[in-house]
This record gives sequence, C-alpha cells and structure tokens, in this order.
Amino acid sequence: MEEKELIEKAQSGNRQALSELIKNYEQTVYNFSFKICRNKERAENTMQETFLSMVKSLNQFSGNSKLSTWLYTVVSNHCLMLARSQKKYEYTPIEDDDALIDEKDVTDWSVSPERVAENNELKALLDDAISHLEPEYRVVFLLRDVEGLSTEETADIVKLSVPAVKSRLHRARAFLRNELNKSLKYGIS
Amino acid sequence: MEFHKITCKDVMNHICDNLGEDLDSPKCREIKNHLEECDCCRTYRSSIDSTIKLYKEYNVEVNDDIHKRLMEFIENNTKP
Repeated sequence: MEEKELIEKAQSGNRQALSELIKNYEQTVYNFSFKICRNKERAENTMQETFLSMVKSLNQFSGNSKLSTWLYTVVSNHCLMLARSQKKYEYTPIEDDDALIDEKDVTDWSVSPERVAENNELKALLDDAISHLEPEYRVVFLLRDVEGLSTEETADIVKLSVPAVKSRLHRARAFLRNELNKSLKYGIS
Repeated sequence: MEFHKITCKDVMNHICDNLGEDLDSPKCREIKNHLEECDCCRTYRSSIDSTIKLYKEYNVEVNDDIHKRLMEFIENNTKP
C-alpha cells in the first residue's frame, strides 16, 4: 500500500494502517534518535514520544511534506530540547574556523568503516567524538551526511538558512574528523 | 581572470564545504587539479569521507521487545 493511502486510512481511524506506518518508520526513527542521543534508553524514549506525537497530530498532516521529514523534525527538536536540559554534558565550543583545519596534522587512517559493527572500541571512539560536538552541529551533520537529506531539507528541519546549514556542516565535518584523528592516527586494534 | 595560487588549507576548507557536490567553477577545477597531485589533501579528503562512513555504519536495530514496548506505549497513551 502507498504511504499516502496508509496515512489516509490511519487518519480515518484504521489501526492496522497506523501500525503499518509505525512499522515502516520505527527503524529510521530509532536509529536517528540513537545517533543524536548516543544512548539506547533515551533513543527509545524519543522514538516513543515521536510516534505518540505523530498519532495525536496525524489528522493535521496535510501530505504537503514527506512524513519522514516531519518525523526527523520531531526527533531533532526532542533531542535538542533534551540536550539543552542536560547541562552536565560538556561540549567543545567551535569558535575558531581557522583552527579547525591544521594541514600539518593529516594522517592516513588504516581503519575500515565496515568494521564498526563488530568493533566496540571503535564504537566507543565514535560515541566519544560526537558527544563533544554541540548538538546543534550534530543534528545538521547527521541529517545531511549520515541520513543523506539534501541541504534544503536539512535547513527546513532545523529552521536555518541554507548558508547557515553549510557553515555548520563544514565545522561539524572538520571537528569530528579532528576528534577521530586524535585516536585513529595511532591505529586501532 | 587570475586566481592566487591555492594552498592546502584552501583545498581542505573546500573539501569540508563541498564534499559530494559536483561543482564546476574555475576554482573547483583548480582544486581538483591540486587534489590529483597532493597526497596530503587526498589523505585529508579520505579521512573526512571515512568519518562520514563510520557514522553511517554505526547503527542500532529495533528488536521485537523494543517494537512491543512502542506499540504498548502508543496503545496506553491513545486510549479514549
């Protein structure tokens, strides 16, 4: 069944259509929530709140935008609110654009991205690196580079201009690369 | 029009700005030429690519328990 038809049926109270919609998006929403929160429990809570919000406001959904875009927006807002309320986390401020790129500190990493699934040490490094990145930059990096949304879609979700998204993306890419470089330049087991 | 000679730092900034976008300005062509000749900038580009791929590959799965708890949560919170 097409998504438009599923949404229409769910809007008219068809529980099976609603379950199917949730099933179609639960993996995307959970994974994206985890990638922002870096914590499975918080990711699950975010997923639950996101779908509850979807169910409650499904009748207002006009179909002018994609449901996935709407879900990404809810997850992003929820995670950003959560991050702002948890000030115990210390982010590394990104202030100096010029200092982000040091052409003298470029090393060839021997790590293969395909090894992430089986390598807990690598996962811990990735979690640690992104946990230092301010959430506002993290969301842009994840939407644009990891989820593969366009710059325009990302701008729409985070309510920023396209140039502002590009600027945040530039800084996030350089920042994360630098953080990983600190460990990966020495190799990993 | 004459451009000043680009530096590795210019190229690295360009990589962070425009990764994945196929731009075709004179400056972009100059950067592509530089990338073909400069090991350091190619390595930098590769490390930016790897950074993105690493985060793409790090995924978590919704298992049956998580799905069940989600459906129960929705059910319990949308009862009339």
